[in-house]
Amino acid sequence: MESLSEHPWDVIIAGTGLDQSLLALALSRSGKKVLHLDQNSYYGGSEAAFSLDEASEWMNCVNQRRTPFEDAKISNHQASPQSASSQVDSAASELPQGTPDNRPKLAASRAYTLSLSPYFLYTRSELISILISSKVYRQLEFMAVGSWWIYSPEPPNAESHELGATRLFHRVPGNREDVFADSNISMKSKRTLMRFLRQISKPQDEEEQDETEEKEDLSMPFADYLSSNFSVPRDLQDPLLSLSLSQLAQQDTSASYAVPRIKRHLASIGALGPGFGGVVSKYGGGSEILQVGCRASAVGGAVYALDTGIQSITDGGLSSESEHPVEVHLSNGETIRSRTLIGSAWDLPSIDQPSCTKVSRSITIASSAFTSLFPVTTEGAPVPASAVLMFPGDTLGSPQSPPVYLQVHSSDTGDCPRQQSIIYGSVAVSGPQGHALLERAVDRLLQAEGTQAIALWSMRYTQLGRLSNGGTPPSIQTHSPHVYSFPPPSLDLAFEDETVDMIKQAWIKIVGDEVAHDEFMIFEDREGTSDD
Amino acid sequence: MSESASANAPKPSSSVKLVLLGEAAVGKSSLVLRFVNNDFQENKEPTIGAAFLTQKCTLPTRTIKFEIWDTAGQERFASLAPMYYRNAQAALVVYDVTKPSSLTKAKHWVAELQRQASPGIVIALVGNKLDLTNDGGDDAGASPAPQAESESGQEGNEGAAEDAEEQLPASGDARKVSTREASTYAEEEGLLFFETSAKIGTNVVEVFTAIANAIPESSLKTGRGAGGAGQTALGSRPGEDSRVNLGDRNAATAKEGCAC
Repeated sequence: MESLSEHPWDVIIAGTGLDQSLLALALSRSGKKVLHLDQNSYYGGSEAAFSLDEASEWMNCVNQRRTPFEDAKISNHQASPQSASSQVDSAASELPQGTPDNRPKLAASRAYTLSLSPYFLYTRSELISILISSKVYRQLEFMAVGSWWIYSPEPPNAESHELGATRLFHRVPGNREDVFADSNISMKSKRTLMRFLRQISKPQDEEEQDETEEKEDLSMPFADYLSSNFSVPRDLQDPLLSLSLSQLAQQDTSASYAVPRIKRHLASIGALGPGFGGVVSKYGGGSEILQVGCRASAVGGAVYALDTGIQSITDGGLSSESEHPVEVHLSNGETIRSRTLIGSAWDLPSIDQPSCTKVSRSITIASSAFTSLFPVTTEGAPVPASAVLMFPGDTLGSPQSPPVYLQVHSSDTGDCPRQQSIIYGSVAVSGPQGHALLERAVDRLLQAEGTQAIALWSMRYTQLGRLSNGGTPPSIQTHSPHVYSFPPPSLDLAFEDETVDMIKQAWIKIVGDEVAHDEFMIFEDREGTSDD
Repeated sequence: MSESASANAPKPSSSVKLVLLGEAAVGKSSLVLRFVNNDFQENKEPTIGAAFLTQKCTLPTRTIKFEIWDTAGQERFASLAPMYYRNAQAALVVYDVTKPSSLTKAKHWVAELQRQASPGIVIALVGNKLDLTNDGGDDAGASPAPQAESESGQEGNEGAAEDAEEQLPASGDARKVSTREASTYAEEEGLLFFETSAKIGTNVVEVFTAIANAIPESSLKTGRGAGGAGQTALGSRPGEDSRVNLGDRNAATAKEGCAC
């Protein structure tokens, strides 16, 4: 087949984000004739991962097109980090040759894989379940997400002997053993913390039987919940909040959001091996997962066309007699027909842009391995390749602001060369204020590590999407009996399991009753694919 | 778990990711099917289905386990994902010796690999369908073909190749790409070169053995393989051994020994 219009399709899926890619995989294996398009020449849309060159290319066009991004800007600090000369934008290769230059340098463009939407998976995530049941996990490699850290500008111990960035960061105790071992927490605080951890890590059914705890009120702010129910002192509330990954300020985070997520954190530790509760996919995180999904979908028979956008849609609607009532005009001039069309709001021209939250994000390539952020804290645990750092608003001189989160990826993630790291920053504040907060947080981390740690390259942007809020789960929008759209992409730092339910709902809408619904994403190994 | 040295052979074993490229219908999947199953299907459907196969290749000093990635037809609309090339240690670029345009396409893929893939990738250029030529293929050495047309045929020039088509003898020899044209190109680009017949098996194992031999020992150390989280020593670096095995979570239901 050399032309997309050769025959009509059962489903056209526009955009290659994770949601669309998993839906394509599910449908392709349910006997549907799937055409999966992307207007870009790369996979992933707003979840793509780029080399340095691809990132510059992206920046140049993203500000001019209708995308869920605004205000992208790259700074190349390479030329002269110390003297801030005029060469700020010149590339590494343009440095004068001959003189030995021992300053840390950017490696080749392709040595980097920079994710626009970095997130990790908790080990008990539904996404991991479907990666396993669909067998696509065989083509992925995962690394452990290790410690959580809170920035505390006053070193917790005056006589601290620690080296590196952790002098100014306090490791968040993630389980009871951690709490016991923590020398920075008073005995009294330890007792309240233990009580809280014991309470929320109780199995669900046990909790229900427990009459006294049954009427726990989760509607109050998380901070009030901690103070009134457990007398958790102020200085331990931010660390607990960080385990929930709430991107809202403490006073705006409800207990109903935070408590289930802290439970998720605690319950995940050990599920895939000792000492960690999260995993991150190598070589670009979610971008790698969605590409593997697309590949598996192609194996299932779906046809893939990049660089092929949708220009306009003619929907025959209910009255149409046709089996393929949706007519789609493509950017390459072809007109194709389909029974169903589904895509993101940015891929379907007739769909109004949904209301979105805006977050500021930054990606920094740092000239340090930040070894102290990746301790192995349990015997037999793998060396973590990622760490989560939280900067409460007040530590950045902005007490009312939501916290800044930095996800630091070591070179073990395959995202960057050895002796370097990628710092992914995110804060739920848009515009210059958000970018300033991110810059301050990254600077604090680099300063804490020491003079050898500098930013070699950075990019900042504003991203539009959806933050999970503990309320209504995301759902597919129905525009006609044949045209559906996905909600805005997730801005969460950990994959939210409700997304899997949403993809399953989309799959059910399209396959109807032709397939047993409990067979969602359960595939046998193909012949010859397993070990002998 | 076949990776562990204690499994059945004392030889060191490493995994090699091999990607398969070439125009549609040149016989990419058939080559792999012959290599993996020693099987051939006449009039095979375009590849949909198995696109990720494994096969071991035993060398005197080590065992190489090929993880063979087929394109699953994703090459049609230039839609191969970066993860397809990423970390590939070997590539098989296939053309059809009876179809000059397929060599042109193969050259595009070689250029694409040189641009996109790891710098040290071992590339083998393979002219398939040798059984349709007078060289027949029962001679595993693939005796040099007549060179007449290659002298006039410009590289990548389909017009010249069509001229060559007209000069073909009426002997039933469907060859339209001379051995010399392709081997000269392969030599210039530093590629391994073979002519094969997936149908009767000529040279198929030889291609994979040659690739296995050409993979530098150094690149095998970082080979992809089974890295279980449970077997990781405290504080070990680098992270290749720190990979987390998702299969661990469903150890009860996962098939034993599947860890790649």
